[in-house]
Amino acid sequence: MSLEQPQRPDVGVTPDGELNYDELAELLDGHVIDREQHENAEGFVIRPDEVSTVLQTLKQEAGFDHLSLVTSQEYQDRYESIYHLKKYKDPTQELSLVVPTTRDDPVSQSAASVFDTADWHEREAYDLVGIEYEDHPDLRRILLPETWQGHPLSKDYNQDQPQIVPLREHADPMEHRTEVPEEQDTMFINIGPHHPATHGVLHLKTVLDGEQVVDVDPDVGYLHRCEEQMCQQSTYRHQIMPYPDRWDYISAGMLNEWSYARAAEDLADVDVPDYAQIIRTMSAEMSRIAAHLLAVGTFALDIYGDFTAIFMYAITDREKVQNLLEDLSGQRLMFNYFRLGGVAWDLPEPRAEFFENVRSFCEYIPERLEEYHNLLTSNELFQSRVIDTGVLPTDVAKDYGATGPVARGSGVDYDLRRDDPYGYYDELEFDVITDDGCDNFSRAYVRLEEMRQSARIIEQCVDLLEDWPEDERDIQANVPRTLKPEPDTEVYRAVEGAKGELGIYIRSDGTDKPARFKIRSPSYCNLQTLEVMAEGEYVPDMVAALGSLDIVLGEVDR
Amino acid sequence: MTLLPQKIADVIGIDSVFVDIFAAIIGAGLVGTLILIQSALAGPWAKRKITAAFTDRISVNKFGPLGVGIIIPDAVRLISKELIVPEGVDRPAWDIAPIILASSALLGFAVIPMGSLGPVNFQLADPEVGLVFVFAVASIASIALVMAGYASNNKYSFLGGLRAVAQNLAYEIPLIVVGISVVLFSGSLRTSEIVAAQQETLFELGPLAIPSWFAILNPFAFFLFLVANMAEVGRNPFDIPEAPTEIVAGHQTEYSSVYFVLLYLGEFVHIFLGGAIVATVFLGGPAGPVLPGLVWFLIKIWAMFLLTQWLRSAVPRVRIDQLIEIGWKGLLVLAFFNLFLTAGLVGVFAA
Amino acid sequence: MSKEQELHDTLEQAQTTQEARMGSATDERFNSRLRQAFGSSPFILTKLDKFMNWVRGNSMFILLFGIACCSIEMMHTYAAKHDLDRFGAGVPRASPRQADVIIVPGTIVSKFGPRLKRVYDQMPEPKFVVSMGSCTVSGGPFQEGYNVIKGAEEIIPCDIHVPGCPPRPEALVYGVLKLQEQIRNGESAPVTVKPYELEQFGDLEPDELVKELATEINEDDLVMRYNWVDSP
Repeated sequence: MSLEQPQRPDVGVTPDGELNYDELAELLDGHVIDREQHENAEGFVIRPDEVSTVLQTLKQEAGFDHLSLVTSQEYQDRYESIYHLKKYKDPTQELSLVVPTTRDDPVSQSAASVFDTADWHEREAYDLVGIEYEDHPDLRRILLPETWQGHPLSKDYNQDQPQIVPLREHADPMEHRTEVPEEQDTMFINIGPHHPATHGVLHLKTVLDGEQVVDVDPDVGYLHRCEEQMCQQSTYRHQIMPYPDRWDYISAGMLNEWSYARAAEDLADVDVPDYAQIIRTMSAEMSRIAAHLLAVGTFALDIYGDFTAIFMYAITDREKVQNLLEDLSGQRLMFNYFRLGGVAWDLPEPRAEFFENVRSFCEYIPERLEEYHNLLTSNELFQSRVIDTGVLPTDVAKDYGATGPVARGSGVDYDLRRDDPYGYYDELEFDVITDDGCDNFSRAYVRLEEMRQSARIIEQCVDLLEDWPEDERDIQANVPRTLKPEPDTEVYRAVEGAKGELGIYIRSDGTDKPARFKIRSPSYCNLQTLEVMAEGEYVPDMVAALGSLDIVLGEVDR
Repeated sequence: MTLLPQKIADVIGIDSVFVDIFAAIIGAGLVGTLILIQSALAGPWAKRKITAAFTDRISVNKFGPLGVGIIIPDAVRLISKELIVPEGVDRPAWDIAPIILASSALLGFAVIPMGSLGPVNFQLADPEVGLVFVFAVASIASIALVMAGYASNNKYSFLGGLRAVAQNLAYEIPLIVVGISVVLFSGSLRTSEIVAAQQETLFELGPLAIPSWFAILNPFAFFLFLVANMAEVGRNPFDIPEAPTEIVAGHQTEYSSVYFVLLYLGEFVHIFLGGAIVATVFLGGPAGPVLPGLVWFLIKIWAMFLLTQWLRSAVPRVRIDQLIEIGWKGLLVLAFFNLFLTAGLVGVFAA
Repeated sequence: MSKEQELHDTLEQAQTTQEARMGSATDERFNSRLRQAFGSSPFILTKLDKFMNWVRGNSMFILLFGIACCSIEMMHTYAAKHDLDRFGAGVPRASPRQADVIIVPGTIVSKFGPRLKRVYDQMPEPKFVVSMGSCTVSGGPFQEGYNVIKGAEEIIPCDIHVPGCPPRPEALVYGVLKLQEQIRNGESAPVTVKPYELEQFGDLEPDELVKELATEINEDDLVMRYNWVDSP
């Protein structure tokens, strides 16, 4: 590509690819009031009315193009929003922007004008913690009903107060936008929360012009199970681990557990034995296969209608991988297999039989993929339905913080397993699948091919595990029974979940329970892109786009 | 061949208008029952078993051979459920729609020659315009769908109804144009004559005598007709008016109990009517070796049913705009091409 | 007070609450108008009842309804390995108008409560509810959440509870079989008073909360009022 301009190096990066925080602070020139040390990155404290300027500078000059998460929390004396910034080309270069606001007037400037993804993150912060964002395009509750009283994650929230939730027809948002209401020829339709296409309890407020989607507004929160509150009420050592299984409940439990394990291990400085890391890697990839199988199956369901062959085949194959995971963890769906510092127990005996089963499964997956490719990707009717529909351009995907197969289907080469290696991934060989199609087809294709890569990883893990010396099989590091990390340590760590970057922010306060536990859910960010993908498309394409996003409501709503 | 009502009147043996009417009713009842039995078999049982076979399952297997006994509990339960009349439905259109759907499909069977069983010839009437009549009543169904969709006071039903109209407009015309090409061969619209025209032997293949079925004479027309027919009966890849994952259940969304049974049954009768038309026009009607004609006819319509279920399991649903494009830009053009081709061939052979 | 007297009082109290909870004596869930017209139960109607129970117990359409984690196991129950359709209960219908059984597979939260009630109300009688998983039994692991309803039974009557988090497909199959057995025997779950009902906003007692929301909610709007303190 000779025509391409030579890439200008980002400000604040040393030649060997490390971040130079001093240079960054210099770039921000006086905006930085204070600097904090977080476990994963440095935090720059800035004034609440300079958020968008600072973010704009960092995005333009320093190349921070990925707003991974907005954490909001309440201290005794102040509210705080933290913008966790990353780079798509190198997610190890991180920076946190800490924006404190006073308790009396918790108003902070919105980042939605710089990063589209901030829209929903800030709405969530407003909903749960009660920080208000100035210049936010649409600041209203997102997870809780509109008539909810109080902000449940704030300090003075009374959980016992009664609440009233109305069941009302939602008004057509186009009604007041058209000038002559009588001549309006659009139709407002509620798709969901109970609808076969929404994969759970998602509610799409849709405005149709004939069959075409004029406007779609996803309404989430029908499965808001207070996961963050639950984790804040539980102890680090054992009580939190079962909850991650229930975020992305499509068998991706191992991946979710890993996200918590990674963050907590960084927080408490726990080293995990290699043997346990390999088992983790293997089980996590099995989870990924199970999750992708269901994603492909339900996507086919959306396109084919009714419970047709492909969906059933996918479920049948899932049974196989679930059997393996059950052998390993004792559970079909909610594994609770990881522990801080390792895993719960060693591989099942007899080991040879287990290895044989895993191996035959790894050989079976590529065979089955041929079948799926025959049924789906090489089916011309299927192609005519999904190619060039639900288009999500690369830039938009980045702006919305899309990750995982959704981003990779839009040509964003971003995979934390390779870019920010954890576990045993940096020792293993695998390819990151990307596709430049940016459409529904690409996303389905990326998922199918990722299964092949996962099978490859599992095979390598089995090879390693088979030859592992018997006296070095440490499944857990020595972790104290009660874990009390240093007070005011903050960490944000992410792993590559089945749907994308699954991150956890933990702030400790010296007790055995986290003071703030925030989940960066990939589905939540990916779902925001639905509006871009669906507007102007036909209803069936919107359904297909939703299917290709592969959201899990448990993870969206948490 | 004597028609069925004539035969019954002969058996009764009194020559009177009333006896003729009575015999006609009895005959219609017989044929109607026969077809309804097929649909009852297909709806709650065969459909499930076939789908299960495609998806590696067993499906119902508790009562009777292969679980066929499930039909009784299924039918009785569905009929005995509470009939919910939602607020704001447009009665009586809402009540009439299911009846029209079921009866329109049944009416089509009046002129279909279903072959004979022993001395009895199963055909109720054989009018001059038989084929036109079948197409006409079969397309009344789309009116029922629109009525159901519009009267339900439900946006999903409404979308389903609109889709049904668009789909039927796009497919009815190619279907009939392809049908006409067959008429060119047979020289008559009378269904019995269309069937008779297919009885001659086309050529001999060793001991096998290949009959001159129009499907063999003109496979191109047969294929076009199958595609258009699939859209006509609204099954995958053209099940757009129902499209469960998009618009819940389309026009059926608000129907429960008896009305739902009528809609459900009506759809299956419709599939069988589609099969009967295909059999009559392209597959030699009830013709076939050894077995009686009626049995062959049933085998043929069940084969068509199996085809619909197969496609349902394996083929994605097209989008409404794609469907209309296929209909107007693809099938219609091909149908006319086929018509001219056939006309040319028939003209050459006649000369 | 003597011990016997005490026992008697408790029993009496229990009976009165049960009556209050059960409402009128006839169970409206099975169509019993014909029986009402005949007065007592003649032989033929008894036989008919038996037949109808057999019918309902052997074939059911299930509402296509997924909420949370359990719906994944529910899908597995429909699919190849477990194949719920063997028992005549494997036809999922997307529209509640055509369903007999609703399997509630997941946590009910405040925002979804009114919708669940609405979906349940849209189903035609006789209808049955299988509550699947700990969340629908009691709120499960999320019971202490600020937003979580402590079991589906707070909102709709449940016939069968299948505990587990999530229950294995075999457990769900067993639950459905138990439900079928129950229906065949003509038993039905007692219709208990539900703490959370849909009611018109205007009918609520005008306490502090109602007054505060008066500007936001119309008088005719249906609302569900959650009294978290009274939840079990």
